[in-house]
Amino acid sequence: MKMDDLAALMPKGPVTASPEVFQQLGAITRMLHDTLQQLGVMPKLQAAADGLPDARSRLNYIASKTAQAAERVLDSVDQAKQEHQCIAAETRKLATALIADPVRAVASGAVLNFVGDIEAHTSRIDQHLTDIMLAQDFHDLTGQVVAKVVTLATDLEDSLLKLLVQVVPPEQREKVTEMQGLQGPVVDTGNRTDVVKDQTEVDDLLASLGF
Amino acid sequence: MSNPAALKYLIVDDFSTMRRIVRGLLKEMGCNNAEEAEDGAVALAAMKAQKFDFVVCDINMPNMNGFDFLKAVRADESLKHIPVLMVTAEARKEDIVLAAQTGAAGYIVKPFTKATLEEKVLKIVQKIGAAA
Repeated sequence: MKMDDLAALMPKGPVTASPEVFQQLGAITRMLHDTLQQLGVMPKLQAAADGLPDARSRLNYIASKTAQAAERVLDSVDQAKQEHQCIAAETRKLATALIADPVRAVASGAVLNFVGDIEAHTSRIDQHLTDIMLAQDFHDLTGQVVAKVVTLATDLEDSLLKLLVQVVPPEQREKVTEMQGLQGPVVDTGNRTDVVKDQTEVDDLLASLGF
Repeated sequence: MSNPAALKYLIVDDFSTMRRIVRGLLKEMGCNNAEEAEDGAVALAAMKAQKFDFVVCDINMPNMNGFDFLKAVRADESLKHIPVLMVTAEARKEDIVLAAQTGAAGYIVKPFTKATLEEKVLKIVQKIGAAA
């Protein structure tokens, strides 16, 4: 529930609660805040909360990549099926011509034309199959993003666990490890200058390094 | 070493789908001799057990990532001559620079096309062939 939603639940008229209630609420809030700060939980919780918009962005990226892959595969299948239907139609046509008059079919160039057409059709089908194969890269890219989101969820869980274990002796409290390492796919390049947007930028960067 | 089809490739990636894609694309380029490894450690062991001419390697992998693998290859006298083409989703400039400084022969950012892979493999093979 968002703060705006909470605000909508507020009574329209004047608030009738006594000043003591507000004083108590204020004191509890302050005590909770101070306690969390003292326990050192707040920064970690804050970091986890800050990561949530990024998690949404990453999940959107997964949805986008899988949708793109599905569209790409379906488009390629449609086009490959059309090519296949053309081959079937041309084969039937040639068979009819060969049955009717084999000599004329060969002499008219129909057989040679058929061979040329089949080669062109199969070449295009092969390209569609390659496209279908390449579309499967979403598995790798989204898999890495899923791992990042799982890490974020784990961080949140760690923070909450850390909050809970404050009631046990300090020597039993587990340390929360910081998330480090590689970033994985860039889900939103936006205005970022620390990442490349495409292979051309990779090549330019490597060229500037003498590659 | 100027004919890519005559080389033996090692494809290193923790995602089997990506390994199959790279293997399939290499096959379309006429490069049929390829094997796979799921991380840097497995790849390093494979390279010590048998001879490979060209490595296509991911970066973000468990056990031993692509950078550590690359460092290990470059530090090994018997392996350091083998070109390693990085194919990765890591798009940070600092990663690209680090890969170049560590000795990567090329760098491709995922997702990529067949044309990009073909161009990079050919370029690396030609460069090594000219230097030999």
